[in-house]
Amino acid sequence: MQYMIETKSITKTVNTSEGSLQILQPISFEVKAGESIAIVGASGSGKSTLLGLLAGLDEVTTGEVYLDGQGLHTMDEEQRAQLRGDKVGFIFQSFMLVQSLTALENIMLPAEINGLDKPKQRALEILEQVGLSHRAHHYPNQLSGGEQQRVAIARAFITQPKILFADEPTGNLDAANSDKIEALLFDLNQQNKTTLVLVTHDNELAAKCQRQLNMHAGELTETIVHSPSESLVTDCQREAS
Amino acid sequence: MNTTFNLAWRLFRHEARRGELTIILLAIVLSVAAVLSLSLFSERLQQALTDRSAEFIAADRRLNSRTPVDEQWLVEAQQLGLQTAEQISTRSMVFGENEMALADLRAVNDEYPLKGSITIAPEPFAPAVDIEGTVPPGEVWIDSRLFQLLEVSIGDIIYVGDAELKVTQVLGEIPDAGFSVFNTDPIVLMSMADIAATNVTGPGSRVNYKAYFTGESGVLDDYYDWLRPQLDDEIHYWMTIESDQSAVGQAVSRAERYFLLASLLAIVLAAVSIAVAAQRYSQRHFDPVAIMKTIGASKQQIQRVYILQISFITILGILMGSILGVAIQQVVVTALGDSVEVSLDVWHWRPLMIALFTGSLCALMFSLYPLMQLFSVPPLRVLRKDIDASLSSRTIQFAAAGGAIFLLMWAYSRDLTISAILFVSGIVLVVGLLAVTYGLIALGRKLGGGAMGPWQLAWARIRRRAMDNSVQLISFSITIMLLLVVLVMRNDMIAQWRAQLPEGTPNYFVSNVTETQRPALVEQFEANNIRYDEFFPVVRGRFVAINDERIRTEVTKEDEEPAQEGRDGLGREANLTWDTELQTENRIVEGRWLDQWQPGMPHEVSVEAEVAGRLNMKVGDVLTFNIGSEIVEVVVTSLREVNWQTMQPNFFFVLHPAAMENFAATYITSFHLDQSRKAEITQLMLPFASVTLFDVDARINQLRDVVDQVSLAVEFILILVLAAGSLVLIAQVQASMDERQQELAILRTLGAKGRLIRLSVVFEFLIIGIVAGFMAALANEFSLWLLQSQVFQMEASIHWEYWAVAPLAGAIVVGILGALGCWRLLALNTSTLLRKMV
Repeated sequence: MQYMIETKSITKTVNTSEGSLQILQPISFEVKAGESIAIVGASGSGKSTLLGLLAGLDEVTTGEVYLDGQGLHTMDEEQRAQLRGDKVGFIFQSFMLVQSLTALENIMLPAEINGLDKPKQRALEILEQVGLSHRAHHYPNQLSGGEQQRVAIARAFITQPKILFADEPTGNLDAANSDKIEALLFDLNQQNKTTLVLVTHDNELAAKCQRQLNMHAGELTETIVHSPSESLVTDCQREAS
Repeated sequence: MNTTFNLAWRLFRHEARRGELTIILLAIVLSVAAVLSLSLFSERLQQALTDRSAEFIAADRRLNSRTPVDEQWLVEAQQLGLQTAEQISTRSMVFGENEMALADLRAVNDEYPLKGSITIAPEPFAPAVDIEGTVPPGEVWIDSRLFQLLEVSIGDIIYVGDAELKVTQVLGEIPDAGFSVFNTDPIVLMSMADIAATNVTGPGSRVNYKAYFTGESGVLDDYYDWLRPQLDDEIHYWMTIESDQSAVGQAVSRAERYFLLASLLAIVLAAVSIAVAAQRYSQRHFDPVAIMKTIGASKQQIQRVYILQISFITILGILMGSILGVAIQQVVVTALGDSVEVSLDVWHWRPLMIALFTGSLCALMFSLYPLMQLFSVPPLRVLRKDIDASLSSRTIQFAAAGGAIFLLMWAYSRDLTISAILFVSGIVLVVGLLAVTYGLIALGRKLGGGAMGPWQLAWARIRRRAMDNSVQLISFSITIMLLLVVLVMRNDMIAQWRAQLPEGTPNYFVSNVTETQRPALVEQFEANNIRYDEFFPVVRGRFVAINDERIRTEVTKEDEEPAQEGRDGLGREANLTWDTELQTENRIVEGRWLDQWQPGMPHEVSVEAEVAGRLNMKVGDVLTFNIGSEIVEVVVTSLREVNWQTMQPNFFFVLHPAAMENFAATYITSFHLDQSRKAEITQLMLPFASVTLFDVDARINQLRDVVDQVSLAVEFILILVLAAGSLVLIAQVQASMDERQQELAILRTLGAKGRLIRLSVVFEFLIIGIVAGFMAALANEFSLWLLQSQVFQMEASIHWEYWAVAPLAGAIVVGILGALGCWRLLALNTSTLLRKMV
């Protein structure tokens, strides 16, 4: 069976002034297409490092990592960028919008970079979906945190990625905005049948995913196998509405 | 490709609108505008001055010959499209009905003069005006003095050799009459058609033949290339206006060197601000690049986007800079319009090419490293903000920036040596400053102790960011230093020019004053309330041998080339003077002055250093002069440097009076007669008909004009350089504010009062400003000494006032800029600050 994500004994070692430091112990796990998993753990446990490796933003020291059957560990940065453009969407805690582009242009950006046709039309449609049509021509610094993250979500989904990586997507938001963003995220995820990998230290948010992987001091343990996503999505949809 | 272009254009548009590109754009605009306006202006000014200098040889080029000029040479020149003219000159006696006088005969053809004009006066010694055309056959135009000497009037006949010619005009000046205070005879201008009839050019007579050429300088050069192999150094002398060593020529060439220096410094300053702005630009784009890489952009796409963006900025900058440069130049030329005829008709391409080159090179080389850094930002930065560009090689940065500056210097000065000297001294200076900075920062550690007040906070920040601060300090120091150099050079140069021509500068020279005439002349001056100078005794001596080795007396041109003021060589006869006091503007460079001579010692002479060099004379050599029938031997005891730019008689040889006791001298002196009293000159000199009078007002006015024009141009350059310097300071403060932002936000969040933060930032900048100003004063002194002594041939001096002014100005300017930047940041509320940090 082909997994959307498959890792085989991946490790990450970094060089520090006091010698090399292994920040990830050998990790192996698989994620099926359409699955949603949460990587939870305390600060410094290595969850963001793992996310970087899974998304091909960083290179493993040893081991193998496959994304939709393609071995990231065999690729160079250019090939990984191409793969990310084709199959991966990202959402970050700090939104990471390009400050000098408007909301609409930020959303168009991945479509343009990856050569999709009608990027503007796509962007307008998805902007409508996230409820920000009226803010299309605003710059990020003119939007609230919640609005910025909705733009980021729209940007992540415009290429209809197979996998979505979200790094603390609600980490910078207040409770009300967090709820809205979570609902939107899971909703779009469901609609697009995207595989979701979410890094968080928020147990409530993690609980909404089908599986939870627990990071502790660079080691991974799978603690909970959650209820089917359908019921969760129903919850989310209810919340969003 | 289209998408990349759209993206780049969109980013460019938005950033430009939001003012993010202002500094980098302004820096490019300024460097292009400065280079274009400066070089356009200096090219045009040079053109104007060259045209003016050309008047002094009556053409662009002149061939002097001791034998008639080959007709074929002139035909060849005409075929190349050059204009030609001819003159034959000799000294001969001319006769009136009762009197005779030695005159300087100038026989010219109809085309003469090719440059400049002949002036005539309505009556002897009256102010002269330009006249079109030249003297027709059968007539002569004669100098005012000849009317006195020959006792003739307009309409009378004079005899020149065997020819009878009618006096029809009072000759004022001819363009290439030359300027020599010694033994100049009054000019008789006649037509070349009459020269044969005079029979004065026969065998045995000393005749000079001149051929004049005017045309495109390229064609003139080609022509000279063709002509040169046919010339005989013993007979021919090719003269260009560049060989003009006159005071005007020197002032212009010094000003040109100043332009060059100032423009180079303006370019360096603008380039530094481009570098600072580009660095900041690059750092602000780390995140967007990481984002783009994360969402799938290839390295190539990112490179294209940013190279396109830089290209847009560069093109816009060059475009705006060119328009501004042409406009500035136009304004200056218009402002100067009254005093200098600078033609705007001719478009000079070289300045435009250099401006384009400067703009592109600056933008490219100074953004090269920041861009390379930008391209190397890893996508992982989206997760970990602490990850910066993976490339951090200062070598590349310094190589690119240094290479660019060197290339610019070279392209601009077209002189590899000067560029190399400036460049290497620059590097030495930076290294020196770096060492001083580290020392000062270490010293600051001691000063920054104690409870946490604004001072302590300021010192703590300076200490912690020692590397950043030292770079910043150096760039502030260099900026202030460059500004000082340009300012002080301007002040010194203008002051020295003005000092050469103070009010009351002598505008007349008199020579051939006999011993008996001298007291009468003094009386005449005093009775008429005329300021006069010292009387210098002069005796003509034939220079025959050095250490008993006979020298060729034909080597020289003093007689043939009065326009050269006798400096290019030594005449067959030299003018000897004697004194025990060293003349002003004369400086002993080797040996000792004559005042230590004791009776019984061999007679002594002091020789002008340049002539000594040319004739290979050393201190201790014995020179032999033949004066009348006597032989005088003197020992060289000193070599003197002479400032030829002063309007005073200067001499190659100054002997001890004891050597000249037995000779009857004539005297030379100068005096000032106010412009308004010019009409009195005839009356004044009437009793001294045999005295040679020289009106140098035209020369002085010309020099004064040039000094005024050039001073104005220099002021304008100063303003440009100041603008460039301010831009660098603003760019630097702005860049350092970004770095301080985070700390300010934290302090603010922790509850630090606005006043504490503000004061600490102001103090920090004050400290940096004072130290930078002090180091700038130090470096300024060093650079000025090098420049003034090595490049400008000026007297170097210490400028103590700037040791106080520079730190003070540094503290004020940098402090104010820092405070303004800080206010801008503190005006934002804490959450905005924190958000900006993220």
